[in-house]
Formats: sequence, structure tokens, C-alpha cells
Amino acid sequence: MKPNRKENKRIGMTLRARLLLVVVAAITLEATSIIQYVYSQRGIKQEASLRAESELKSAENKIMDVVNQTEAAVRNSIWVAQWCLDYPDSLKRIPQRVVSENPVVVGSTIALVPGYDKKYPLYAPYAAQDMETGKIRMLSLATEEYDYPSMEWFAKPLESCESYWSEPYFDENGGDMLMVTYSVPVKDRNGEVAAILTADISLDWLTKLIGGIKVYPNAFSMVVSRSGQIMVCPVDTLVMNKTVDQFALESQDREALDRVNRAVLSGKSGETLVRYKGQNNHVYYSPVERTGWSLSIVLPDKELYKGVRRIGLLVNVLQVLGLAMIIIILRIVTRNQTKYRQLYEQKERIENEIHIASEIQMAMIPKTFPPFPERQDLDLAASIIPAKEVGGDLYDFFIRDEKLYFCIGDVSGKGIPASLVMAVTRSLFRAMSAHETTPERIVSLMNYSMSEANENNMFVTFFCGVLDLTTGQLRYCNAGHNPPVILTDDIKELPVEPNLPLGILKDMKFVEQETFLQYDDALFLYTDGLSEAENIAHEQFGDHRLKEALRGRKRSEEHLKNIAQKVALFVGEAPQSDDLTLLFIHYLGNASQSSNHLTLPNDVKQIALLPEFVDAVAKQVELDQEAASNLNLALEEVVANVMMYAYPEGTDGEVDIRATVDGKSVSFVITDSGAAFDPTAKEQINISAEAQDRPIGGLGIHLVRTIMDTVSYERKDEKNILTITKTYK
Amino acid sequence: MEVSVSHEKNEIIVRFSGRMDTPGAQEIAPQMNALTEEAGKTVILDCTDLTYISSSGLRIFLTFHKASLEKGGKVIIRNICNEIRNVFMMTGFLNLFEIQ
Repeated sequence: MKPNRKENKRIGMTLRARLLLVVVAAITLEATSIIQYVYSQRGIKQEASLRAESELKSAENKIMDVVNQTEAAVRNSIWVAQWCLDYPDSLKRIPQRVVSENPVVVGSTIALVPGYDKKYPLYAPYAAQDMETGKIRMLSLATEEYDYPSMEWFAKPLESCESYWSEPYFDENGGDMLMVTYSVPVKDRNGEVAAILTADISLDWLTKLIGGIKVYPNAFSMVVSRSGQIMVCPVDTLVMNKTVDQFALESQDREALDRVNRAVLSGKSGETLVRYKGQNNHVYYSPVERTGWSLSIVLPDKELYKGVRRIGLLVNVLQVLGLAMIIIILRIVTRNQTKYRQLYEQKERIENEIHIASEIQMAMIPKTFPPFPERQDLDLAASIIPAKEVGGDLYDFFIRDEKLYFCIGDVSGKGIPASLVMAVTRSLFRAMSAHETTPERIVSLMNYSMSEANENNMFVTFFCGVLDLTTGQLRYCNAGHNPPVILTDDIKELPVEPNLPLGILKDMKFVEQETFLQYDDALFLYTDGLSEAENIAHEQFGDHRLKEALRGRKRSEEHLKNIAQKVALFVGEAPQSDDLTLLFIHYLGNASQSSNHLTLPNDVKQIALLPEFVDAVAKQVELDQEAASNLNLALEEVVANVMMYAYPEGTDGEVDIRATVDGKSVSFVITDSGAAFDPTAKEQINISAEAQDRPIGGLGIHLVRTIMDTVSYERKDEKNILTITKTYK
Repeated sequence: MEVSVSHEKNEIIVRFSGRMDTPGAQEIAPQMNALTEEAGKTVILDCTDLTYISSSGLRIFLTFHKASLEKGGKVIIRNICNEIRNVFMMTGFLNLFEIQ
């Protein structure tokens, strides 16, 4: 079977829904992680800036400490220097004191302005602290090679008459180290600058101090001098060899570096972003007062955001894993769905096919109602309300030779096997009833066939009847089915021999039974789907509800509708568990006929019941008292004959009397199962003979003959059947 | 079905009442058989209260009549209703009996 368009569409939509789900999940996850990343980056940046600021502040404070100490060391010696200007030889004690009393100062000199002293045109005693021993050596800077007056530390303060922090420089003469020098002009009494007093500090301590600032492992700090000379930097080769301008040339982000440069050199504090060697760096900078230096912390973004990036990476990996899992789960789920759908479709298809099969089967049984619209003597209706699952209920009927052949059956079990057996049963019924006229034969032959090849031990409860539509005679044979209901003046079960269901015992002897239906009598056959219909409380519909439902005279179809309604109402929400099959046969004889029936046991005392019976019949033809009495006499004679001659005394037996009134004629059919006895075979008596010659017997049949118009005897099916008729003018 | 027998000076009067149908006839058969002992007398069968008779009843009458004839007695049937007269007519009993 090809999946139809609608299903294709459904599958397509599922695929689209799946994709949509994955995309939405991916977007949501990604958005979450981006937001988280951005916010944590911002937080980290804020924190880094705070930390950098505080580090810068503390470093600046430390630098300022040293600067202050240095400046104090120099200034405190100025007045001594001024005082000693007149005695140049004593001047050399001043740098010695500066160095010895101030541990931060590694070297100090007091250099006289050339020509100030007559004795020493150049005079610059230098005290240097030996880094290894800590001892102070005294040197002189007033040498040919050194030419101190041209030195920056000397020239600048002399020129400006103000204290001055030098640019860093490598001192080859005095300390053999990288240093900066603080110089203060020393004025004499006249206010003339006479000498320059200096203190050198090594950049080593600055390097140590700055190197100690570790905001982040790969962050580094730099100190840049007023002229852009790098004083402290973790890359030693850069120190003194490069200016920040040169850095800027190497950098791709010139504009940014320029900005930094200007900012740094202008002595302001702040932060900026610089791109260097393909990496973004955060630069925090702050000036150091008085010295003209600028302190900066360089923080590579890579370093700053390392943690966030690691978490971001982790989040990304988790996201990918999550998405992969969503996709896998979706695939599993949809695959299962597809599998279930396939199973469901398969099941539906099978059920569909079974239903078609059962419909084909149903189509074979009569379904048009009323089935015999031309007949006035029969009103028949039948219905099967199938349960959800295919069941094995059946009914069938047809008329042949003025006889209605009908049956109802219920196959054990449900599903396909039951429906197949139901088909077989129905076919067998048609096949057997085509040739056989008695229900017992039909049932026996069906049973034989079904028992013979019954490997699955399926059986069928079955009821078969043959109704003679002329006489109302109903012969029936039950094979384990529930007894039908007979509706006369009363509503009661039809007495049935249970026998055994079809298909159990091959040689089962089925007992046939017989009754007569009168005008307006009805027979209601059903399957246990009716009596065992359950409501939610598991109560069964039961016989009393059924009898209640059958009350009142209605057309057969109305009866069935009414019963179906009552059952539906009773069952309510409970699912119908079994097929509900109903067959209603309403016998209406001939519309102009009315009939009466009496069955007497073999006991002459029962004859006393005849007058009442005959009176009722007589009334239907409006007979007078005398005619009714005669009719009674004729009937009594016949019945008495049967009781005295057909049945040996004391034996059991029945005499069945059926009276039929048709217009102005009355007929009785008297049937018994006794020994063959033909009263009409008796010789006619001579009523004019003398008393002595009159025989004792023969009077009865003589009376019958005299009263009735016709008397006829028939021996059939082991039965004596005598029919007597009288027509009134 | 009831029967009462009364012996008068010269005759026996047998009074029937009810329906002499088959069971009724069977009921009275023993009494009637006993009465045949006296069949030589004049026996009046009073049918005033008899409403119905069937062949069984007729056989009782005929049997008694035959016995009476044998013993030289006489049977008189008295007072039969129309229905019974009709039955007698159909069976030729009107000619067999003296009916009053």
C-alpha cells in the first residue's frame, strides 16, 4: 500500500519541526553564551581596571617614596653645601654623607660650576656605593674624559636654576649601572648658582618594584621617562634602547599608540586599547609626580580574558554536545514514531481488510428490510451491531415452499478466525437448507461438516428454525445457543433442548422441537452480546431488562430499534465487547385468518376443557349454542378416539388441536404421536338397524362425519393427523 | 356428572344431571353396569338435567337398552333437551328408544 499524500505531508512537517527545534535550541544556547560572555568580559574588564588602578597607585606611592627620600636627602644637604662652598675641600664630605645616610641613593656628587672656584676650575667629588660590599668609594668626576659640565644632570638644572630629574642613563664612570639622577642647584650667598648637588638612584629597585606588580601572570609594567625612553620593562633589551615612539612604529595600531604616547607624555592617567603584534592590549597608565615619568601596566586581552575564554570554550563544547544530543534524541524519537506509525498503519490496514472481509460476508446475508414486503403473514427484521473487533455473529433467513428457514449463530472467540468460521457456518447453512426441510437435519449435517475439520476447536452456538407460514408450525433445533424468546400473550423463553454447539461432537444427536405460532405471535432470537451487554459497573443487561424491552406490540423493526436503544442507554460509556445480533420474527398468519390452539395430555379427563376452547372458536364464526355444541361433540369424538385407541392406556402423549377459522368455515387439525389409527377407515354404521343389531362402537366417527363437512386422515412423520372442517352458510 | 337412582313401586327412575361426555360417561359407567341387574324392570332414564351427550353416553344408553331387551324389561327416556334430541336424531336413537 502506498502512503498517501496526507501522510507524506505529515512526515515533511515533522522533519521541518525537527529542524526548527534544533535551530531554536542552537540560537538559544548561543545567545545565552554570548550574553554570558559579554557580561563576564565586562565584569572582568572592570575588575582589571580597578586592580590596575590600585596597582598603579601603590607603585606610584612606592616610587614617590623613593623619589621623596632622594629629594629629601639632597635638599637636606643643601644648606651644608652652601656653607662649605667657601671651603671646597670640605665639599667632598657632602656626597659621602648623602650616600651613606640614604640607602636608596647609590651615588652622589657635588659638582662646582666651572670657574666658580679659583683653586679648582672643575671640581666634582663623587661618592659611589659599592653594590657588593656596601662600602663607599670616593671618586672624582672632574676628569678629561667625563666632562661633567656637558652632562644632562649638570647642564639642565644649571640652566633652569631648578631641581631636575634626569633621563635614565648608563653611568660608566661612577656606578656602572642604569640610573637616574636628581640634581639641585646650590646657590651661594649672592644667589649665584655655585654647584649642582646630585643623588643617583639605580633603576634596579624600580625594576624590582615594577616587576612585583603582577596584576595577571602575563601582564607587564613599564616606566617611561619624560622623553619617551623606556626605563623599566620586562624585556631588558628594550630598556634604554627603544622609545615608545619606536614601539609605535612597530605597532599596527599607530593611532592608538600615538594616543597613549600623548596621554602618557602629557602626564595624565587613564586607559586605552592598543593593538600590538596582532594582539589587543589594555594599557593603564598614570604619571609619577615631579619626575615626569609615566607608569603603565600593559595587559594583553588574551591574558585578561583567558578565564572567560576558557569557560566560553567549555560552554561552546557543551553546546555542541547538547545540540548533538538533541539531534540524536530527535532522531531516535522520530524513528520510533515512524516505527509506531508504520505498525499502527499496518494494524489499521489489517483491521480494514478484516472489516472489508466481514462486510463481504455481511453482504451475503439478507440486509434489506423489510425483506418480504409483499408478504402479509410475516414481519421480520434483523440486525447486527458489530463490536469494534470483528466478531463471528451471524443470522440468515429465506423462504422456500411457504416455509421460513432461519438461523442465528455466534462463533466462539473473536477476530479473523471467528469471522472465517462465521463465513463457513453461513455457507453451510445455505448449502444444507437448500435440500433439507427439517432443522434437525440441517443442524446435524452442519455439525458433521464442522466437526470433521475442526482443528482449532472453534465452535458455534446455533439455532435453526423452520416456520410453516401456512399453519404457523414451528420446528426448531438448538445447538447450544441461548433460548429465543417467544412472545404470545406472555413473554417467555422458548423451551429448548440445549444440545451441544456445532463443531464439537461429530455424531451428536440433535433433538428437534416443535411448537405452533398463532396469529400475532412472535419469536425473538439474539446472541449473548445482548443479554451479556455490560455497563460500566459490569452489570449485565439480563433477561428481565430484555423482557421489559420486548413489551408492547410493535413492528419488528421498531422492536429492534427499541432494544438497541435500551441496550445503548444501559451500556452507556462502556465499550461494546461483543457483536449484538438480533432477529425478530413476527408471525401474522393470513390477515383474514385467525387460529386457535390447544394441546391436551393423554387423559380423557382433559376432554372437559374442550367446551371452552370450542366456544371461543365458535364465537369467531358467530355460531349459535346448538351449532357450537355440535362442533364440540365432533371434536370430542375425535380426541376421545385418539386417547382411547392411538395411545395405549396409561402412556404419555399429547393431543394437539389447532382450530382455524376462515370466514364462515371452521377446521380442526388434531395431531397425535400415538400408534397409527385411522378412524375414517371404520365401516359406516347403520343407524336404522334395530337395537339388537347395533354395534357399540362406531358411533363417534359417525357423529363426526354427520356434523362435519369433511373428515380426512393423514399419517405423516409418525403422527396421526386428522383434519375436520365445517362450513356454515 | 351425577346419577341418582330411585326405586318406585313398578319402576326404577334414574336421574342424570350435567354433561355426559367421555369423562362423564366413564364416571357413571360402574353404576349403570350395576343397574343392568334390574334391567328386567321398567327403567326411566330422566334426562331433565342432562345438558350434553357424546358417543360414550350413547353407548351407555345402548348397552343398557340391549340388556333390558334381553331381560324383557323396558327403557323409557324422559325429557331430553334439543341438543340431545339432535344427537339422538343423528344416530338413529330416536327410533331405538321410547322417548317421553
